[in-house]
Amino acid sequence: MKIKKIFAWTLAAYAALAVLLYILMGYQLHYRESRGDLAMPAAEAGTVELVQGAVVEQRFSAKIQRLRSVSVQWGTYYRPNAGTVTMELLNEADGTLLMSGSFDAAAITENGTTEIRSEEPIETAYLAPLLLRVTADSQPGSAVSPMMCLTAPGQDEDSPPFALTLNGAPTDGVLCFSASGEDYIWTGLHYWQFAAGFGLLLALAELFIWNRYKKGKHSYVINALTALEKYGFLIRQLVSRDFKLKYKRSILGVFWSFLNPLLTMAVQYAVFSSLFRFDIPYYPVYLITGIVLFNFFTEASNMSLMSILGNAGLITKVYVPKYIYPLTRVLSSLVNLMISLIPLLLVALFSGLLPTKAWLLLPFPLLCLAVFSLGFGLILASAMVFFRDVQFLWGVLSMIWMYLTPVFYPASILPENVVWVLDVNPLYYFISFARSCVINGVSPEPMAYVQCVGVALLMLLLGALVFYKTQDKFVLYL
Amino acid sequence: MSRTMIEVNDVTMRFHMNNDKIMSLKEFVTTALRGKLHYDEFTALDHVSFSVRKGETLGLIGRNGAGKSTMLKVISGILKPTGGSVAVHGNVVPMLELGSGFDFDLTGRENIFLNGAILGYTEEYLKEKYDEIVAFSELGPFIESPLRNYSSGMLARLAFSVAAMVQPEILIVDEILSVGDAAFQEKSRARMMELMGGGTTVLFVSHSLDQIREMCGRVVWLEQGKVKMIGPAKEVCGAYVGA
Repeated sequence: MKIKKIFAWTLAAYAALAVLLYILMGYQLHYRESRGDLAMPAAEAGTVELVQGAVVEQRFSAKIQRLRSVSVQWGTYYRPNAGTVTMELLNEADGTLLMSGSFDAAAITENGTTEIRSEEPIETAYLAPLLLRVTADSQPGSAVSPMMCLTAPGQDEDSPPFALTLNGAPTDGVLCFSASGEDYIWTGLHYWQFAAGFGLLLALAELFIWNRYKKGKHSYVINALTALEKYGFLIRQLVSRDFKLKYKRSILGVFWSFLNPLLTMAVQYAVFSSLFRFDIPYYPVYLITGIVLFNFFTEASNMSLMSILGNAGLITKVYVPKYIYPLTRVLSSLVNLMISLIPLLLVALFSGLLPTKAWLLLPFPLLCLAVFSLGFGLILASAMVFFRDVQFLWGVLSMIWMYLTPVFYPASILPENVVWVLDVNPLYYFISFARSCVINGVSPEPMAYVQCVGVALLMLLLGALVFYKTQDKFVLYL
Repeated sequence: MSRTMIEVNDVTMRFHMNNDKIMSLKEFVTTALRGKLHYDEFTALDHVSFSVRKGETLGLIGRNGAGKSTMLKVISGILKPTGGSVAVHGNVVPMLELGSGFDFDLTGRENIFLNGAILGYTEEYLKEKYDEIVAFSELGPFIESPLRNYSSGMLARLAFSVAAMVQPEILIVDEILSVGDAAFQEKSRARMMELMGGGTTVLFVSHSLDQIREMCGRVVWLEQGKVKMIGPAKEVCGAYVGA
């Protein structure tokens, strides 16, 4: 009966979460930054002095499903200018004006950009022959000039060609302009089908398990549930012991969980903001998010590492499923993580970030990180039993790992030949997910969810396997 | 009626003797590479079989190193046998060592719950029995102070009081535990006898043949990991004394 109830609740919780996720992800569920965005080429020369009657036209095309904005980069001849410049974007296929805008030439700075933006995304521009026309009404001597790049970009054969004309004369090279927009995401278009599909799978799985259970067959899920019920009290006791012991006999007590990330952040902020001057918006928030998450991982893995060895006295005396020990260690680190979220959110608020609904998504990367840490901790704990070198090895490895993770530096400073390190660094997935929620205030694209869950479950599976295969030998080596 | 509670079926337990010498990765790799990774084996239990029926008190006797404690550890699930199988029907409470998992920085109260959880009690049961445990331990106000301030006698009393609140289906006892001063020793002994006499299935290891004769119906005599004799307490004890 209890199992039926649990299953029903699981389904209900799943449905609620699916709806909640839909609301919280909102815009990012449906669209992502287009992969067809055109980046601004490096400015190498001016085009023409854009006086009244002069026309600079750039024909181009882009694989942007929902075009949002186009920008042009300017040169000023390092003098004050006057007049109005106008940017127009036309679709040459049907001659419609997609968007346009006028700018005061006096406000344009050297190498500055002007941007025309459409409130309603333009859905007809995908691979259409587009024409960006720049004109002005300035007098000679006080006119600006759009910049250009002398080498034309490579392009696909099947897309309409790029061509630059200056006052009607075709010219080699390309105007310094950029175009950006969004693409539809497949998962977003089919979200409810996905949600329903998974829900159905879940229901079927429950039905299957229930049937097996009624027939009295062995079932891992039922076993896990009964173990959870049987050892739940023990887990709670062990977690509360860890927690009580951590700050016992220290004057500030639990407050340290709160203070630690703040102090680390303050030190690193002082060092790195004056030494390296990384160009990161909301740098304190960037830092503390990385610190809090990475600290959780090191704390959980270090505690798991010693969990079997440290409880040797118990393991050789009383039978308790051995995974309980690493599990409780990760859970008590999780309690600490919850506390250090308070300074994180405070720093975010003090830095001028306003809470958005994306903040509510924060538990997602944290939970994935916890699952990942548990899997990793299981491996460390079993390795430690057989080889005591692991603790020293791990001390060094975790340090290397920290430096390979963009905790205090931006990912962009990595040289191109080591960028792959980020792709294989699971911790970076969790950290950048959390940063996207807190700093950008938006949900990351759906792919990030899949990556986080995938990496976490894979590590848990691996850890469980290693632990399961070796646990019977533990007691012989303690 | 006489349901089998513990079934030990052809259990063999072998240990690698020089395992503990290789504790580092480097040593392991170098010795493995040199092909010298062989172990001296020690057989602690050698094809042992017996069963315990419901409500029975089975004694386990034998000299030091005969494999009694290993047998208890295998039955309570701490050790997994190298060969054979053990089937246990019912919840086992091993009273092998008192105070497992005591934490010296926590108070007596917190340790009662921690130790109780480790021994497999439920929260409701512990809450219900809490006053009884404290009363039995005679610790009074000390229950709220950390264990590091306890004397060894107080520790032993607390540990016994928690362990003695069990209501197991199968009780595994390694020597009758009597701790504390004379009065408490008498009290704890009485409590043990009460537990063991209360209709539960008991597996009892002791060096005191008097206790074995008094408590047990049947006795298993282990010698060098093998069952030397199994049968009614009087006969086996008699043979054991004669040997």
